[in-house]
Amino acid sequence: MNELSFSRLARPSRNALIQLAAWRTILICVLATGALASLLTGGRGDVGLAQLSGLFAGEAASTAEQTMRDIRLPRSLAAAFLGINLGLAGLLLQAVTRNPLASPAILGINQGAALGIVLGLTIPALSAVPGWVLASGFGMVAAFLTFAIAGLLSGRIDTMRLILGGVAVGAIGFSAVRLGFTLEDDIARDVVRWTVGDIADLRLAQALRLAAFAAPGLVLTYLMAHRLNLMAMGHATSHGLGFDPRQTLLLGTALAALLTGISISVAGPIAFVGLVAPHIARWLSGADHRQLVPTVATLGAALMMWADALSKLWPQTEEIPVGIVAAMLGAPWLLISVLRRSPHAF
Amino acid sequence: MRSEADTRRTDLRGPVTLAVLGTLLPALLFAGLFAGAVSLEIKTVLNSLLGLDGPRQDFIVLQSRLPRGLLAALAGGALALSGALIQALMRNPLASPKIVGINSGAALAALIAAFYIPALPQSLMPIPAVIGGLSAGGLVWWCAQKGNIDPRHLTLVGLAVGLTLDAGVDALLVANTGPEASAPLIWLTGSLWGRGWIHLASVAPILLGLSLAALILAFRLDLQALGAERAASVGVRVGLERALTLLAAVLLASVAVSVVGVLGFVGLMAPHVATRLVGGRHRIMLPTAALFGAVLTVGADTIGRAARPPIEISAGILTALMGAAFFIWLLVAEDRRTYI
Repeated sequence: MNELSFSRLARPSRNALIQLAAWRTILICVLATGALASLLTGGRGDVGLAQLSGLFAGEAASTAEQTMRDIRLPRSLAAAFLGINLGLAGLLLQAVTRNPLASPAILGINQGAALGIVLGLTIPALSAVPGWVLASGFGMVAAFLTFAIAGLLSGRIDTMRLILGGVAVGAIGFSAVRLGFTLEDDIARDVVRWTVGDIADLRLAQALRLAAFAAPGLVLTYLMAHRLNLMAMGHATSHGLGFDPRQTLLLGTALAALLTGISISVAGPIAFVGLVAPHIARWLSGADHRQLVPTVATLGAALMMWADALSKLWPQTEEIPVGIVAAMLGAPWLLISVLRRSPHAF
Repeated sequence: MRSEADTRRTDLRGPVTLAVLGTLLPALLFAGLFAGAVSLEIKTVLNSLLGLDGPRQDFIVLQSRLPRGLLAALAGGALALSGALIQALMRNPLASPKIVGINSGAALAALIAAFYIPALPQSLMPIPAVIGGLSAGGLVWWCAQKGNIDPRHLTLVGLAVGLTLDAGVDALLVANTGPEASAPLIWLTGSLWGRGWIHLASVAPILLGLSLAALILAFRLDLQALGAERAASVGVRVGLERALTLLAAVLLASVAVSVVGVLGFVGLMAPHVATRLVGGRHRIMLPTAALFGAVLTVGADTIGRAARPPIEISAGILTALMGAAFFIWLLVAEDRRTYI
């Protein structure tokens, strides 16, 4: 049903290598311009790249330099690391379910993780547990619930069931989140902004926390690339070549839930980056996961920094959360991918 | 095919189920008069309700709780009917006004109207909602035609359209509400908070008329269930009737959304439960579904008010929790070949 194309796994020709190099250059340019756009937009007009010198100025930094050092740069970094985490999570999920529509938001992992956070805030006994542990744990539970609905127990994951099951699991998670907010007035204040994913208040500490997961996440996903490639060739092939597909599914989902969990505990549920980044990456660098992993990471970071820049450029007095920009760009993408894949694809 | 004994039993099951639901609904409405921040005694409620002398709480009973309950019943019934019509049209038991994106479209248009045309009176709110619902329904239909999608995968298209529109709803909400103004958010989760006679009066005639139309269409739907070709061969103008049915379904859901917001999963659950109770023939299934939807919504609203007074849990949260669990059960328990 949803085989990935393996035509580009063969040894690439000279032309293909040139093409690949061209794509890489474009990719780097997109990343660089995204970083610039994210760094240079904001409320103050007098903050530019020159103010990066504030990094070394210490106490003597001017207000503009402090803005760059304490607000703009950490925020852009946070956006980039969020993009890496979520993009990799999406890539892992698409690979282990062998379904190109899979992503943390669509499988209900985002909503499950959000529920974990809200439970941590409302139940005193759980308040000692770090947010990302709860978020990852509940995200994982949601993922496996969705897989079970999709027919994992009978050995085959069905596309329609996977998506609809994910929507239902997500609806339960999100309704429970809203229920939590209804019952606890204290945490209801920023409900809208948090539930759509907001990075406006992130500082260096949070950016570093995201980085602490993004770096090992990138390495681990890269180490799994071979397994993921075998997964795409079918469960039987994977088994025959020495990798248990169930083990790959478990490892991949756990890693995806962890990456999603930390992202959501820091910034709230941001949807669709996990869907879009792997799609564009597959289009750029083919189906080989050894190529895909770095491409997805770069693209995820670039997309999120662009989304951050757009969120700051929104023509309103108040800037719009980055999660909404991501959703407004990503949801139509989902629509187009559904339409493109039908009617023969399911 | 149904055996004759089976048919006779179904025939009896229908009226019995309708009678049970028909008594349950007023009973729940009455129970709803007691639920809320102020607890009332039976005598007080009866006095106000019947206009007798003695201790009365006219405002709470007659102006707040009674219209709310009636509106919940009306909106729940409308959403259930809409879901039943859509499922019959698409011959897809997983379809519902929410899954197909109509609710999101109606919500987006109603929000745009509320934020940018503040002069629009409440009685005209159904108009933008209907425009939004029709556009979303039309978009899904157009995409399906364009992509040559068979009806069973239409749910995926509807889902994607719904998510796209939801992104717009979120953007509007964040751009337009400060920390103080959370009313649109409450409305959006599907709540009867702050609804009164004005809201009831603005939608009751439309919804009742549409429900009547849907029940008339029900007789023709039974013929449609035979499949397009066979229906045509027994004299059904398939295209026209399908269009009319779709129109009725979209209007019912949109108008309901314009007053009570997105009450999730009522339109999905009610037709299924009704089919299990009375069988699949629409002329008996549709009224059962409508009554069940009304019971469900009134029940959710009552429980939401009674659970932790003075806090109100939105009816939409409760129906979504219930409905999503039901949906999962549906996906798991039903025969794979039937649906997917």
